[in-house]
Amino acid sequence: MQPFDKIAAMTRVMALNLWRDRGALLMTFLLPPLVFLIFSSVFAGTTGDDIKPKLAVADIARTRDSGRLAAALAVSREVRVEIVAPATADEVRRRVKAGQADAGLVIRADPASADKPFLIVADPARAVAAPLAQARVQQVLADALPDVTLRRTVAQLEPALGGFTDEQIENADSAAALMRQTPTHDDGGFFEREAIVNAKTGGGVIAYYAGAVMILFALFSAMQGALGLMDEQSTGVADRLLAGTAGMGPVVSGKFLFLAGQGLVQALLIFATAQVVYGVPVVQHLALWLPTTLAASACAAGVALGLVSLCRTREQAQMLSTFVILVLAAIGGSMVPRFLMPAWLQAAGWLTPHAWTIEAYQAILWRDAGLGGVYKAWCVLTVVGLFGLVVAHTLARRLRR
Amino acid sequence: MTDQPVLTVNGAVHAYRGKPALRGVDLVLHPGEIYALLGPNGAGKTTLIRTICGRIRPDGGEVLLKGLDPTRVAGARSGLGLVPQEIALYPNLTVVENIETFAALADVPRAGLAAAVRRALELTRTVDRAHVPIKHLSGGYKRRANIAAAIVHEPSLLILDEPTVGVDLDARESVDAVIRGLRDLGVAVLITTHDLDQADALADRVGFLREGRLVLEGEPHTLIAEAFGERMEVQVHLVHEADAAGEKRLVAEGLERTSRSTVWTRLDAEGYAAAGVLDKRLREAGLAPREIRVREPSLAHLFSLVADQKLAA
Repeated sequence: MQPFDKIAAMTRVMALNLWRDRGALLMTFLLPPLVFLIFSSVFAGTTGDDIKPKLAVADIARTRDSGRLAAALAVSREVRVEIVAPATADEVRRRVKAGQADAGLVIRADPASADKPFLIVADPARAVAAPLAQARVQQVLADALPDVTLRRTVAQLEPALGGFTDEQIENADSAAALMRQTPTHDDGGFFEREAIVNAKTGGGVIAYYAGAVMILFALFSAMQGALGLMDEQSTGVADRLLAGTAGMGPVVSGKFLFLAGQGLVQALLIFATAQVVYGVPVVQHLALWLPTTLAASACAAGVALGLVSLCRTREQAQMLSTFVILVLAAIGGSMVPRFLMPAWLQAAGWLTPHAWTIEAYQAILWRDAGLGGVYKAWCVLTVVGLFGLVVAHTLARRLRR
Repeated sequence: MTDQPVLTVNGAVHAYRGKPALRGVDLVLHPGEIYALLGPNGAGKTTLIRTICGRIRPDGGEVLLKGLDPTRVAGARSGLGLVPQEIALYPNLTVVENIETFAALADVPRAGLAAAVRRALELTRTVDRAHVPIKHLSGGYKRRANIAAAIVHEPSLLILDEPTVGVDLDARESVDAVIRGLRDLGVAVLITTHDLDQADALADRVGFLREGRLVLEGEPHTLIAEAFGERMEVQVHLVHEADAAGEKRLVAEGLERTSRSTVWTRLDAEGYAAAGVLDKRLREAGLAPREIRVREPSLAHLFSLVADQKLAA
């Protein structure tokens, strides 16, 4: 009988085992798309597409322009504003500290005054809230109160130029009055924003998390399946096989094939959900999606079998697999998007299959990359998977003694 | 028995990190023979089995399966079937599915697979549970299915490691019947067991392994006759544990305490007559026995003598 028949026999054992355990079957194939839906909903907002910070505002200055700013903020779609009462800086601080607002704005003086008229109050635990709130306020200021910006600039220039003539002051006042009536929506700053030509909107994070959840579950399920190697040793199956001609080789290879296949089916379900629910163009990129999925699944299967083979008891294997799954998922970007990580952590991510998998899927599904954009990931994932398989085979021979 | 031996162990020596486990074991097993390997824990039984299975290359001596070294020639192991002590099967799979799996792994040709599986089911009397998952079987069926998976490739040597541990009497008898059936088909069977009654009832030959040496070997009844002659075992069961004076008296009567503190024993050629006299003398000494049993010495008795190093060397 050919060696393939022995491997097929072991793959069948794994498949029947899963089929008979209906609870495990449901969890293996229902949880991945479910977790994908949860992750993509949770993290869809973290990329800045749809962030509206909640701002507690106190107008202490109570000038005409400070009132205009507070009113403009209240109707802005960039922020969610809450005018606090009593209108004191302490009340703003209290709200931010209590977590009732993401950040606070205290209008301390007239916006056109030369001093620093605004105080941003932020909780260090929400580091991103302060610059975000500041940017939103500046945006509103530029959009709704351009005249104030002009007057502030004039006030700042006056000492440097040694004063203005009456005519110049009159001209500046008329320009400011005109701007107040018909705002030009020019923030007067250095920046102009341009969206990438033909960029898709709203699907980037979805493609990201489809890949992230795929590799997360492929590795998680592969680890659970690979733990069977420990059961085979404790129940005497390994003894039985080692006494015969087969040895443990077909067991390892059979498990590898099954686990890679299991990863493929999980990926199918996750990406089908991504296409149906979010319109991620998976079918349109099937030619590149399939090899990416096969490489990622094989990588997960090989890594799992290799790691479990390193352990001598089921307990050791259980602990190691939990540790590896969590750490690789965290560093590799299956939990938090990689672009939000510090640079060194992003670099470290390339040591995980997760980063390679996620980047490959993003390249295919989001950036419409061709073969040149993914072949490196295929190679890395396949080589790592095969290395794990070789380790598992080598260590399985150790069992003979 | 003129056939070529299925198993030949010649002066097998092995040590783990300098600690001897086998000190020159000789063992020959022929087709159609049941051999029970006995010995206390740590005597070297597991090491000997692993050596026969080709998992350990002995430091000295040789192990041959039908003339071939199982550690060097993988094909030598094709005629070997191992039934581990644990139920070495996949619990979610049915009996048939398990047997099919191990048949494929044991190189049973695809064309003959169905017939081989059927034969294994019939020989182990598991046909009526063929399509029941292992986890739903009773202890006896599990044990027999465990054997079925080891005989599907028709091995010439079957090794059973504690095949009836933890099963009830009925299940044990059903397993024994299966083993006898295999022996009758010409399979050489090597059993390690702590169940001395099973070894007594089943084995054509027994071997006592002690500290890595096979110290006694032969046909059970011959060994017992040689060790005990005409003597019978007289067992005294006391109502209460004897005090110091009582123990002194029991020892003076030539009795030895067993593992149970109220049961004392001695060997006596007078048999039943000795029991009557003993009963009278003990009653006179105030040691009223609850019961005195007289029986032929068993393999268990022989085993305890060997284990305690009072017999054979």
